[in-house]
Amino acid sequence: MNNHEEKISSIGRSLLNRRGFMKNAGFSTGALGLAQLLSKDGLFGSDDPTSFTGKSPIRPNLDPDNPYTTRDPHFETEAKQVLIIFCPGAVSHVDTFDYKPDLTKYHGQKPPGMPAVTFEGPSGNIAKPFWDFKPRGKSGKMVSELVPNLGALADDFCFVHSLHTQTSAHPQGENFLNTGFTMEGFPSFGSWATYALGSENEELPAFVAINDPRGPARSGKNNFGNGFLPAAFQGTDFNAKNPPANLARPASYTSADDRSTVSLLQRLNGFHLEKYPGDADLAARIASYELAGKMQTSIPDVMDISKEPASIKKEYGLESGTDLKKEYAKNCILARRLLEKGVRVVQLFNGSDPSGGNGITNWDSHSNIDKTHAMQAEIMDQPTAALISDMKRRGLLKNTLVVWCTEFGRMPFLQGNGTGRDHNPDAFTCFFAGAGVKKGYSYGESDNFGFKSVKGKSSVYDFNATILHLMGLDHERLSYYHNGLERRLTNVHGHVIKQVLA
Amino acid sequence: MSFKNFATVFSLIVFSQGFSFAKVKFEDDILPLLEDYCIDCHGPDKSKSGFRVDRRVHLLKGGDSGLSAVIPAKPDKSYMIEVINSDDPEIGMPPKGGKLFDDEVELLEQWIAEGAMWPGQMEDKIEEGTDHWAFQSVDRPTIPKKSKNPIDYFINRRLKEEGIPANKKTDPLSLIRRAYVVLTGLPPQPSRVADFLCDYTKNPEQAYTILVDELLASTHFGERWAQHWLDVIRWAETNGSESNLYRKLAWVYRDYVIRVFNQDIPYDEFVRQQLAGDGMGTGEALGFLVAGPHVPAATVGQEPSAIRQARADRMDEIMQTVGASMLGVTMSCARCHNHKFDPISIQDYYSMTAVFQDIEFGSRFPEFSKEHPRKTKANEFWQDIAKNRNKIRKKTTTWEEDWGGYKEVHWKPIEVVGLRLNFWSGYVGLDEVEIFGLPTENINLAIASNGTKVKTDLVFAQQGDRFPVTRVIDGKYGTQRWQASYNKEKKQNPWLEFTFERPVKVGRLRMSSNREYYYETDYLEQKNKFNFDKFLVNVKLVDGTWQEIASIQDIRDLMKREKTIGDVIGEINHLAYKLSEEGPRPSFVGSFIKPKVTRVLHRGSPENPRDIVPPAAPKILSGELGVDNKASGRARRAEFAEWMVDAKNPLTARVMANRIWQHVFGAGLVVTGGDFGRAGAPPSHPELLDWIAAEFSNPSRPEGTPWSMKELIRIFVTSDAFTRSNQPSDEGLQKDATSSLLWRFPPRRVEAEVIRDGILLASGKLNRKMGGRSYRIHNVKKTYAQWEVLNNFGPETWRRMIYQERMRRVDDQIFTAFDFPDCGQVRAKRPVSTTPLQALNLMNSAFVVDQAKHLAKRATDESNTNLKASVIRAFELIFSRKPMNEELKVSLQIAKDRGLEIVCRALINSNEFAFLP
Repeated sequence: MNNHEEKISSIGRSLLNRRGFMKNAGFSTGALGLAQLLSKDGLFGSDDPTSFTGKSPIRPNLDPDNPYTTRDPHFETEAKQVLIIFCPGAVSHVDTFDYKPDLTKYHGQKPPGMPAVTFEGPSGNIAKPFWDFKPRGKSGKMVSELVPNLGALADDFCFVHSLHTQTSAHPQGENFLNTGFTMEGFPSFGSWATYALGSENEELPAFVAINDPRGPARSGKNNFGNGFLPAAFQGTDFNAKNPPANLARPASYTSADDRSTVSLLQRLNGFHLEKYPGDADLAARIASYELAGKMQTSIPDVMDISKEPASIKKEYGLESGTDLKKEYAKNCILARRLLEKGVRVVQLFNGSDPSGGNGITNWDSHSNIDKTHAMQAEIMDQPTAALISDMKRRGLLKNTLVVWCTEFGRMPFLQGNGTGRDHNPDAFTCFFAGAGVKKGYSYGESDNFGFKSVKGKSSVYDFNATILHLMGLDHERLSYYHNGLERRLTNVHGHVIKQVLA
Repeated sequence: MSFKNFATVFSLIVFSQGFSFAKVKFEDDILPLLEDYCIDCHGPDKSKSGFRVDRRVHLLKGGDSGLSAVIPAKPDKSYMIEVINSDDPEIGMPPKGGKLFDDEVELLEQWIAEGAMWPGQMEDKIEEGTDHWAFQSVDRPTIPKKSKNPIDYFINRRLKEEGIPANKKTDPLSLIRRAYVVLTGLPPQPSRVADFLCDYTKNPEQAYTILVDELLASTHFGERWAQHWLDVIRWAETNGSESNLYRKLAWVYRDYVIRVFNQDIPYDEFVRQQLAGDGMGTGEALGFLVAGPHVPAATVGQEPSAIRQARADRMDEIMQTVGASMLGVTMSCARCHNHKFDPISIQDYYSMTAVFQDIEFGSRFPEFSKEHPRKTKANEFWQDIAKNRNKIRKKTTTWEEDWGGYKEVHWKPIEVVGLRLNFWSGYVGLDEVEIFGLPTENINLAIASNGTKVKTDLVFAQQGDRFPVTRVIDGKYGTQRWQASYNKEKKQNPWLEFTFERPVKVGRLRMSSNREYYYETDYLEQKNKFNFDKFLVNVKLVDGTWQEIASIQDIRDLMKREKTIGDVIGEINHLAYKLSEEGPRPSFVGSFIKPKVTRVLHRGSPENPRDIVPPAAPKILSGELGVDNKASGRARRAEFAEWMVDAKNPLTARVMANRIWQHVFGAGLVVTGGDFGRAGAPPSHPELLDWIAAEFSNPSRPEGTPWSMKELIRIFVTSDAFTRSNQPSDEGLQKDATSSLLWRFPPRRVEAEVIRDGILLASGKLNRKMGGRSYRIHNVKKTYAQWEVLNNFGPETWRRMIYQERMRRVDDQIFTAFDFPDCGQVRAKRPVSTTPLQALNLMNSAFVVDQAKHLAKRATDESNTNLKASVIRAFELIFSRKPMNEELKVSLQIAKDRGLEIVCRALINSNEFAFLP
C-alpha cells in the first residue's frame, strides 16, 4: 500500500484513511444511500412495514469504501465459515444414507399408493437399494457401500432425512436449494452470507464457487450469483484448473508494464480525488484496484497445490481412479486451502449440467442407476471424505460448518424403463458436519419406502434457515430491500431445525 | 370503466338478514367459542394473518387469504368452517391444542346458516380505502409565474428550508460530458467539445440549448434510454432456466423500444402498444409482456400439477413486469394472499391475470401495419415463390419444399375423406402434421378442433401414453410430440391415418419434428433435424377407395433426373430462407392462446382454484374494465391499457415521470422506482413529483405534447439542478450526504454500457450500426448445456452494448461485474458496487488490452506521431480534455518508457473515466 501513499497527494492520502473518511463524509452515495433514506423516513425499526415477521430487518452496516470488511453475526456462534458440497442431479437417498429395508422386502412389486406418472413419465416397480447397507462407526449408522469413505465418517455427521422440496425439475430445485426461490435471479446463500458477514481475508474473494471439472451445474451462475444484491457479493468462480477470468496479467504485457499502469493510474486518480474531497466512492474504487493487485498473487498461491505432501494427495485420491476423480480431488484440496485462508463461503460442486446424458455429467440417474450412480460416487466419495477428515485433523471443523447437499431425492421405485429412478421432491437426505452441529446424529424420517418425508418434515426453507442460524444469522432478520420488499433467503418461511444444533 | 371514485372509500355493505327464528344464540353459543379458540391470535391485539374475530364485519371480510371467513347463510362457502375442519397443519385451525368438538362446529355452521346474527352489529359497514399518498390523484401544485424552470422552484425552496447552499453552475466541460452521457450514453468527441466550449463563452444558454436539442435528436438517445426500460422489465434474449434457450428474434422488441424513444412516441401510446399492440400494427411491442424468464414446457416435467404451476409462474412474471414498470405496484405480493402493505387483494391479483390470459411465452408472426418494411419485402418474396411453383407445375404435380422448420409436400388438389402417411424410415418423431386445400387456402384441415381424427397401430403408441398420436393434430408445436419406431413383430414402419369429418379438398401438407424450436429459438446444435424422411401419401376418396397421391421417393428421383426441377425447388427453399430472415416471421414476442376462465388460486396454488374473477385492474384504482370472461384477450388488454393511461389513474404518470427523473439525476424522487406502495420510499419532494407527473401527462406549456418523454427530459436537463457542479461541500455533505436534495449534481459511477461504449468511441472503433440481430459473444450450444463466452472483444462486437446478445444469468466475463443485470428479477434501479473483479476485468480483459492498443494507435495517428502530442490526444479522447502539466509529465514519461498503450490502459481504468462529472 506504501507505494501508493507516496504517489497520492496529501489530501488524497487522508481521504484514503477510512476513519477520516467516515468522519468527513458520514455516509456515502453508495450502498448505504437507500438505507439511510429509509432510516431517515422512520422505516427502520420494529414497525418497519416491510417486515413480515414483526422482527425488524437487519441490513448489514456496509462500510462504503469496503464492502468486504468483517461484520459481526447477529449472535455468537462457532461457525465462522461454511463449506457447501453440492451434488447436482439428485443423489438417491435410498441408495446412500437413508436405509429402507422395506424396499428389499417389496422388491419388484407395484408400489401401493404411489403415482402412476412422475417427472419423466410412467413409473415402474419398487426396487431394493442397488448397494448393500452396513452399520458404520460407533453410531452404527446404516450407510450403503456406494459411499464407503463417507460412511466411515458417519460418526461425525448429522443427517437430515426428512427434507422435501417444491419442485421436481433440476434447475428450479437447484435454485430453490441455493437461493431459496425456484425462480431465477435471487441472491445465493453465499452472497447472503458474505453480504451479512463480510470477509475474513480481503486478499481472497469472500465467496468462492468451485465448479465441477466438467463445468457449471444446470442453474449455472444462478447457484452462486448475487441476484439483486450488489455485485460485490457474487461468488467468484474458479477451480483447481481454471483461475478466475482476467486474473492474470495479459500475455502481451510485462510486469514492468503492469507496474507502470498501476503507478500512472494511482497518480491520475490522486489528482482527480483532490477535486472531490469527501467522496467515498472514488476512494473505494482506488482501494479496489489495490485489492485486485493482491489477488493476483494470493489466488495463484492458493491454487498451487503442487507443494501439498504426497500423503495428502494420495488421501484425496489424486493418484488413483479416473481423471475426473483426480480433478475433483484437486478441487477438494483447493477448498481446504481456501478455508484455511479464511474464505467465508466455499461452494464445491460435484456434478455439472446434463449435456453428456443421463447420469454421466451429474447424479441424474434416470437409467442404469447401478452404473451411473457408481460412476458419480467413484468421483465424489473418497475426495470428499478426505477433505472432511483433513479439515477435522487440522481443526478446521471447529469454526467451519460443512453442508453436503443435493436438490432432491430419487424414487423408491423404478421408471418405466426399469433401470433408473425418477426425481423425488418429497423426501431426500442431506448432512451437516463440523461447527455447531451434533455428531453421529440423524434427524427426521422418510416413510418406510423413502417416498415421503414423514417425521420432522423439513422444507428447504428450514434447511437454509438452519445454515444461516449456524452462521450466527437470524434468517428472519437478514434482509435486503428490493422492489417493495425486505427480501430474505427464506422468503417468508422457514424454521431453524433446532434438533441438529450441538 | 369509471374513475369516479379514485382512492375514495368504498364500502362493503352488509345486508341485514331480517329476523328469522334463530335457534343459535350469539352471546351464549358463538361468542364463547370465538373467545376460547380464536381471539388470542385474531383479535385487536394480534390479528394474525390480517384476521380478526372481534367484530362481525371482520368475519365477513376475512383475512389475508382474501376469503370471507363467514358468508351468511352459506356455511359451506365460509372459510372459517373450512379451516376448523381442515387436517392440513398449514391451514387447520386452531393451530395448537385440540380441534373444536363436533357439536361446536355444528353450532358455528348453524349460526352462519341462520345469517350469522350478531346483535348490535348487523348494520355495521367496514370502511375500506387508503390514505397512502401514491393512490391519491395527482394534484398539480401552483407555481410562481416567474419560475424559469419550475423544477428549480421546488428544489431550491427545499434547500432553503434545509439551509443547504446550492452549488454553482458546473464548468462547461463537465456540463457537456454530463449531458452527453445522460442523454446518449456516450461521452462527447473532442471536436464537439471544442465547438461547445467556444460557443459557451459567447452565449452559455444558447450553446447549451443547442447541445440539448442535438442530443435529444441523436439516434443514440434511443439506444441509451431503451436500456433503462429493458432493465426494469428484465428483458433478455434467453428463457433462463435449465436449457436457457435463445429466444429467436426477440430483439425486434428491443428495436421497437429504441424506435419509441427516438421518435418520441408519447408514453401513453407506448403503454397501449405494449399491452395491446397486436391491434395497432405494432405486434412486436407485446414482447414487453414476455420479457421475463420462463421455464419451457420441455423442462417442466410430465406431472400435470407441475405443468399448471409453471403456467401460474409465467402469469406471475407478466404481473411482475406490468406491476413494476407501468404501475409501480408490487402485484406479486398479492399472489397468495392479500397484499401485506397495499390495498391490493388476492382477487385484484387474479383479476389482473385475467387480463393477460391469452398471452403465452412463445413466438408468433408479429402484427405489422401494411407499410411495415418487412411486410413489403415479404410480398416480393411471395410473388417469386408463386412464380417458381408455377414453373414446377408445368413438369409435375407433386413436389417437396424445405421451409427450415417444416417440410411441405404439394400435389394436385383432390376431394377426399381420409389421408394416410406411410413412413419409410424406422423411426419417426412428429410434433404436428398440417393439411391444406387449394394453394390459396390456409385453413389447417387436419387439426383436431376441426373434427379430424388421427389413428395409428397400437404398437406405435410408444411407451404407453407418453407419446399419444393425437399430438400430431393438436395444433401445438414443440417437444410434446408423437414418436414411434419400426415394429419387429409386425415388420412394419410407423404410419398415420387421418379421417376428416366431411369430404374436403386436400392439396398439400406440412410436417415438422419440432417446429417450436425452429420458430422460437436459435444457436442450437442440431436444431433443424427432421425425425422423418421418405413417406407415401395415400388418400381415401369419397367412394371409399384408396389412391396413392405422392411419394417422396418418386419426387426425389424426379429431381435427380430433371435438374431444372431440382433447381427451381432449390430456389423456393432459398426464398423460404430469405423470407424468414427479412420478412415478418415468428418472433419471440409472445404467442396467443384461448383465454381460460380465471379463478382465484387460493394460497397461490393452481391446485386450489376458487371463485371466478373478471378481467380487471385493482379495485382501489377503480379498475373495472367493463369486460368479462367472454371478452377476447385483445379486448381485455386494450381496455386495461386505456385504464392505465386514463388521466385519473394516479400512478402511471407519476411512476414514469419519476423513472425519467431517476435516470437524469441518479435517484428518483421516489427512490424505490418500481414500488410506489407503502413498502416503498415516500417522495423526497412530493409537490415536485406531482408537478412533473401533471406536466408530463397534461402539459401546461402551450406547445407541450402530452406524454412526451423527450420534452420531460428537456425540462429536467435544462434545470439549474442538473447543471450544478458536483463538488462536495462540508455543509452539504453533513446535511444531505446522498445529495438527494440536489444541492449538487450527485456524482455516480457510470453503467457498464457507458464504460464499454465509451472505450470503443475513444478508440475510434465504435460501429454505429443500429438494430437488428444482436452481436454474439457466445457459442452455439447443445440444448441442455450452458452458454459459453467465446469472443467478447473481436471486431464483430464493436457495436453499442445494447446490441450485445442478452443471455439471462450468463456472465459476459467483463461487465457483469459492473452490476450489469442478470435479467432474472425486475430491476428498477441497478445497485452500484465496487469490486476487485471489476478492476481485474478492466485491467486484464482481452477487450481492454485490445482497445488500449487501438486507442494508442488513434492518438498517434491523429498527432503526427509526436509522442507528447499523442499523449495529449489520448487524454482528449478519453476525458474530453487536455492533461494538466503534472499529468502530462508522468504520462509522457510512462509513454516513453513503456509505450503509449500503457498510458491508454491507465486512462481507461481511471476514476475520471468511470464517474459522471
